[in-house]
Amino acid sequence: MTTHFISAEIDLQDNPLQLQKEIEAELEKHGKPLRWAITKVDQENETVQVEAIVTKQ
Amino acid sequence: MKPYTVVLIIPTGIGAAIGGYAGDALPVARAIAQSCDRLITHPNVLNGAQLYWPLPNAFYVEGYGLDQFAKGRWGLQSVHQNRIGLILDRAIAPDLRLRHVQAAEGCRATLGLNLTDYVVTDAPLDVELRSSASGASWGTIGNTGSLLRAAETLIQQARAEAIAIVARFPDVDSLALEKYRHGCGVDPLAGAEAVISHLIVRQFRIPAAHAPALSPLPLDPLLSPKSAAEEIGYTFLPCVLVGLSRAPQFVTQPTHESIWTDQVDAVIVPESACGGSAILSFSQQKTLIIAVENNQTMMRVSPEPIGIKSIKVHSYIEALGLLVAHRAGISFESLNPSICPLRCLSNVL
Repeated sequence: MTTHFISAEIDLQDNPLQLQKEIEAELEKHGKPLRWAITKVDQENETVQVEAIVTKQ
Repeated sequence: MKPYTVVLIIPTGIGAAIGGYAGDALPVARAIAQSCDRLITHPNVLNGAQLYWPLPNAFYVEGYGLDQFAKGRWGLQSVHQNRIGLILDRAIAPDLRLRHVQAAEGCRATLGLNLTDYVVTDAPLDVELRSSASGASWGTIGNTGSLLRAAETLIQQARAEAIAIVARFPDVDSLALEKYRHGCGVDPLAGAEAVISHLIVRQFRIPAAHAPALSPLPLDPLLSPKSAAEEIGYTFLPCVLVGLSRAPQFVTQPTHESIWTDQVDAVIVPESACGGSAILSFSQQKTLIIAVENNQTMMRVSPEPIGIKSIKVHSYIEALGLLVAHRAGISFESLNPSICPLRCLSNVL
């Protein structure tokens, strides 16, 4: 298993639960999410910036 | 009477003005613990290297476990004592390794903690540090297999119920270290520390926490009081062992005494750091979310833009007042100098 740092931009969603699901779905494209956080919100473009560590087998 | 339960979150490695240094949010935790029946918080809040303050009603929950708890996947089962297994990174020099073993022995003899025999990893863990675009500290682990094998040995052979890890960390950029020691920078180690403990908790579903092994630093007369707890001695291990000794176990099915996310009455978080998984989860409950403005961080995530309803307060002192009123069932509006009159709702649907 290896650990990797990634950052991603994700569209804002209607509610926090949907946003959480979208973030985890996006991170799962890169590996298994271990730790993540939204670090910035861009209200003009309706996106959030996410930083994360994912693991890969 | 329903126990009043509070979660205190101050994410690690994001330069929090309070809680971004050497256990400097511990006074906040102590005050909140006096205002509730149960306080659930995490190692970054309670760990002060060789300083700690056992709180009888506090639950020491590692961040990955806290995220799972907030999602409702795991519950917290309190314990009287955990047998703690200690993992030492093979990269730690012999003298420094011995210092850590002696710190563990001291915690057995002086504090009465229950430790298993320890394990040295079969290869160096190869911790790498990084600072991200946001300014947060992160890290990666080169030899996750060695880490997980060591934990498995402790759990299966020595019947460890919680895992303490001491990893050798690379030398930190001198400017970043100086800023941290002077109380005005991001903890450069914190992000990698969280990754190490997250790996163990995710894999084995037992409490875990990390202490870094570092070469002693030269004396600095300008050292900030907020960072001073980490310069008292040779190791940061005592607070980790104390925290783990009574950390709740994680359960996946409700038991008579386990605590679940829907029992949390209030969550307190820095106003600019509402973008973590746990806060997003708690926002789906009836939980009162209190966002503290003067605990500034490197993050730029206020609650409103991501749809989180919260009450903003200036400081933890104000947050304490909210908790007292909330616990007593007193409307916050009633504490203001003026109160809006009631209006008659239309009964036409």
